[in-house]
Amino acid sequence: MAEAVESPGDPETTTSRPLMRDLKAVGKKFMHVLYPRKSNTLLRDWDLWGPLILCVTLALMLQRGSVDSEKDGGPQFAEVFVIVWFGAVTITLNSKLLGGNISFFQSLCVLGYCILPLTMAMLVCRLVLLAEPGPINFMVRLFVVIIMFAWSIVASTAFLADSQPPNRKALAVYPVFLFYFVISWMILTFTPQ
Amino acid sequence: MKQALVDDTEDVSLDFGNEEELAFRKAKIRHPVATFFHLFFRVSAIITYVGCDWFSKSFVGCFVIVLLLLSFDFWSVKNVTGRLMVGLRWWNQIDEDGKSHWIFEARKVSPDTVAATEAEARVFWLGLIVCPMIWIVFFFSSLFSLKLKWLALVIAGISLQAANLYGYVLCKVGGESDISKVTASFLSRTVFQTACPSDFQKPGLEGLEIHKH
Repeated sequence: MAEAVESPGDPETTTSRPLMRDLKAVGKKFMHVLYPRKSNTLLRDWDLWGPLILCVTLALMLQRGSVDSEKDGGPQFAEVFVIVWFGAVTITLNSKLLGGNISFFQSLCVLGYCILPLTMAMLVCRLVLLAEPGPINFMVRLFVVIIMFAWSIVASTAFLADSQPPNRKALAVYPVFLFYFVISWMILTFTPQ
Repeated sequence: MKQALVDDTEDVSLDFGNEEELAFRKAKIRHPVATFFHLFFRVSAIITYVGCDWFSKSFVGCFVIVLLLLSFDFWSVKNVTGRLMVGLRWWNQIDEDGKSHWIFEARKVSPDTVAATEAEARVFWLGLIVCPMIWIVFFFSSLFSLKLKWLALVIAGISLQAANLYGYVLCKVGGESDISKVTASFLSRTVFQTACPSDFQKPGLEGLEIHKH
């Protein structure tokens, strides 16, 4: 990651090059989540911008539009944030305590990026909810959420499971399962008022 | 010959034939845009947080805007303004074994590169130190006034700003090659200030190396 010698005042080299580099890195990781393969290169350049964007998007979409300005979706918004970040930190601590050899931020990075399928599920659910409510509506949403939940689990275990010794893999993976389950539950039970 | 005169004096007399570069070296603030943005995002985040109740009733809008400003600030301070204003940078690298290394670098001052100006360094460090302290004040004020929904945002603010502060402090200290030497030189300056010059030369403190810079 050595930077070339920058000319003193040139904004091109000093700002736009690091910016493009970081944006490309974020985009590449999103692609890796959509098509998960065992790849070491993803873990090497971790960053937390993707998880931040996904968390904010998910929290915004989980807002209920309400008339009362006092309860303007405040608690739910902060709740999503706390659940996502506190959950990710807890899973990371758990995996480190089990003796995994992945670093703290790498694990946060993977867990955060693998929320992407569930964010897409939320988008689809919101669109489906524009149609008339009913059992078919619910079945469609359930189907989509289950598929995306499985996708998230597969994507994150593709990266995380390797870092654990073989007899501890299940112990490390089940909190991930719970984490994405809670998020899927929030998505599935969302109803705009 | 002009060459002989030039060798004795500082860089101002060296004739590169480049007016711009001379003006650049003489300027008090060499990167006005970077200096502006270093402070702009942090101060805007604080002002938006404080002025939230007056600007709009929307908790979500305010939360997102402050978070965006804090993120822009983190990125620009880490990647741009630290490098330009004080010549420091830090990052994390993971090697093939999967071990994570935190790397802190300080730019060596050589005839080719320009050192940081004092005005820029002062602005940089002031901005870096004061803002996390303000966010810590916000933390306690929201905790004790029981406006707990803001706590998530304040904690995010503190983490982002403190991370940059910590990284750059380690860069600065790392540039001095050893923290014990930094402490020793600090101690020797303050404790032995009133001692006579001959005492100052003696290796009086046991266990610490006193370096004469």
